[in-house]
Amino acid sequence: MMLTKNLFKKPGNPLEWYDGHNKNSMPDIPDQMCISCPQCKAILLTGDLNENARVCPKCGYHFRMNARQRIGLVTDGDSFRERDAKMRSSNLIGFPNYEKKLWHARLESGENEGVVCGTASIGGFPCALFAMEPYFMMGSMGTVVGEKIARLFEYAAANSLPVVGFTVSGGARMQEGILSLMQMAKTSAAVKRHGEAGNLYVAVLTDPTTGGVTASFAMEADVILAEPGALIGFAGPRVIEQTMRQKLPPNFQRAEFLLEKGFVDEIVPRRGQKEYLANLLSMHQRGNGHGSV
Amino acid sequence: MFSKILIANRGEIAVRIIRACKEMGIATVAVFSEADRDALHVSLADESVCIGPAQLKDSYLNVAAIISAAEVTGAGAIHPGYGLLSENAKFAALCEKCNIAFIGPPSGVIAKMGDKDMARQTMQASGVPVVPGGGMVDDFKQAEKEARRIGFPLLIKARSGGGGRGIRLVRSMEEFENAFHTASAEAKIAFGDGAVYLEKYLYPAKHVEMQLLCDNQGNAVVLGERECSVQRKHQKLLEESPSPGISQETRMKMGRFAVQAARAVGYVNAGTIEFLVDDSQNFYFMEMNTRLQVEHAVTEMVTGIDLVKWQIRIAAGLPLNFGQKDVSVGGHAIECRINAENPSLGFRPSSGKITLLHIPGGPWVRFDTALFQDYTVPPFYDSLIGKLIVHAQTREEAIRKMQAALCELVITGVDTNTDLQRKILAHPLFRSGRYHTDFMEKLEATKP
Repeated sequence: MMLTKNLFKKPGNPLEWYDGHNKNSMPDIPDQMCISCPQCKAILLTGDLNENARVCPKCGYHFRMNARQRIGLVTDGDSFRERDAKMRSSNLIGFPNYEKKLWHARLESGENEGVVCGTASIGGFPCALFAMEPYFMMGSMGTVVGEKIARLFEYAAANSLPVVGFTVSGGARMQEGILSLMQMAKTSAAVKRHGEAGNLYVAVLTDPTTGGVTASFAMEADVILAEPGALIGFAGPRVIEQTMRQKLPPNFQRAEFLLEKGFVDEIVPRRGQKEYLANLLSMHQRGNGHGSV
Repeated sequence: MFSKILIANRGEIAVRIIRACKEMGIATVAVFSEADRDALHVSLADESVCIGPAQLKDSYLNVAAIISAAEVTGAGAIHPGYGLLSENAKFAALCEKCNIAFIGPPSGVIAKMGDKDMARQTMQASGVPVVPGGGMVDDFKQAEKEARRIGFPLLIKARSGGGGRGIRLVRSMEEFENAFHTASAEAKIAFGDGAVYLEKYLYPAKHVEMQLLCDNQGNAVVLGERECSVQRKHQKLLEESPSPGISQETRMKMGRFAVQAARAVGYVNAGTIEFLVDDSQNFYFMEMNTRLQVEHAVTEMVTGIDLVKWQIRIAAGLPLNFGQKDVSVGGHAIECRINAENPSLGFRPSSGKITLLHIPGGPWVRFDTALFQDYTVPPFYDSLIGKLIVHAQTREEAIRKMQAALCELVITGVDTNTDLQRKILAHPLFRSGRYHTDFMEKLEATKP
């Protein structure tokens, strides 16, 4: 037997009232408190998500993460020392509204530019490190991003340090026109010089890594890692589909697809990244008798 | 006063809270899992919201779903009941952030008392006697040293434990190493915190707890004590008030210390301070429960004070309208926990459809339950299906009344422990009132 609806009558007692003490406030959930997982649709508390390295505890979906959080996740204690922190872009070609856009990006991300560079240690191994910032114009590469990355590689080459880089980018920054495309060549040259001096470069491609960044330093690493489910490609799938007039295979441009095709060496979930990177750095340590890369 | 309250619990306690709200004219919101669609608390409440699948972690412990349910229904307060989220400081803090009144103490106090080691230290600092023992032990070497200092037998307790879980009794040094590592590993799995501390195992001793009510204005009253020494594996089975084993002088002293302890931590709302009392009437602080207790009804019967209603009033900011001198403990009350389990099959939990239900009646007999005829007890939750409480002028009369009421209680369809409860009541050691926390072991050992 089920208890039918409205089986019990309502007693109709008036609300207890004491000396006008009335606390009839309405609940108000702050906007930032909950977030819905785009993959499994579970409602998650932002606090829990952050504690879990912004990975959905239910389905393992990797949420976007800002550069500082990433650095905090993989580096040892407070070993991170930032370089070129104050470099800022200016409107070199007079692109309409670019200043305003930059101002908003700085406000939204709390960063001066789309990449954070510096040195740190991972599992006790010193390295140079960059992490791109998704909340600064989607980590797009303009002159400053290119310059900071090129300088980091030059510094690492001069000091014989390996480089670990986290990429997330929508590609070249169109507001800087041809100057942003130049950054592809500039960063590539710096990566090459760093590599020729026998130094290791590990890139971790995160969602999304596209456009000019994919076509330059993201794909030039000695070891290319990716986060599960990350979108990695040059042009977006819609553009390709429309140009080729063909249906693309499922999972196209996802990390797993790229691993299968040999563009990516390994997929490493976020929570295991520090250990994995420390292992790589340990194996490729200079002067450990195993030779250099 | 709140006009609508969400009850973040199930079973008899959800029903108990809804009843209090109905008396107070407060609208109620029940939350339920998919397995509890037909539960009594869902029918009794004015509104109900499904918060997820049967498993506790997906429903009754699903913080985001519960807070969303409060927002959707416009409930200004959440009563967590006991167990589940009631001592979850993070949940209480989230409620505070969302402008929802958490019916219980502030999150900071829950966190402080939830860390059992910090609770010990706080009590010690405010002059309350604590069980001899030490601070946190980080590794085995340190633990071994500490164990030698305290002496055996001793208890290994999880810092984040509670409700009788995360406690391990060790009788000798030989057992210690193994027990230490298992206790730590178990605590890590059960509470996500492997930290443990050691405590002298006081034996023989009684488990006596003081019930407190504290308002936001700084008033604190003690509503007498409850004796909860009848326990099996640290789970209470039968409680009574007043305790037959403590003197009036000890009672007064314990009450004073309880108030002192509550003041020391800035306690607000209903809370319980658990003590161990030895045969020489020495007593030691064990832990503080920052919530409503399962056995709160025993106190309600002897004091005539509705604890749940006062919890709600205090959370709404009202001051207590009575003082310590107005509290009088009259007569004697006993509570038997009725569990769906089979004591002769190693207390195996039981679930299934209730084919016949007869609830005992008569003067001063109370049965708090969420059962009804043809209800199906789901297999997913705690085995407590009811609490039989009686009140009489003397202990002897209360025992007789309970014996009669237990015989009148008929629940067919699931196994219950009613016969075991009758055996407890009939046992000469229980009758004498001089029983200790090892009573159940003795009872089980004397089985024919």
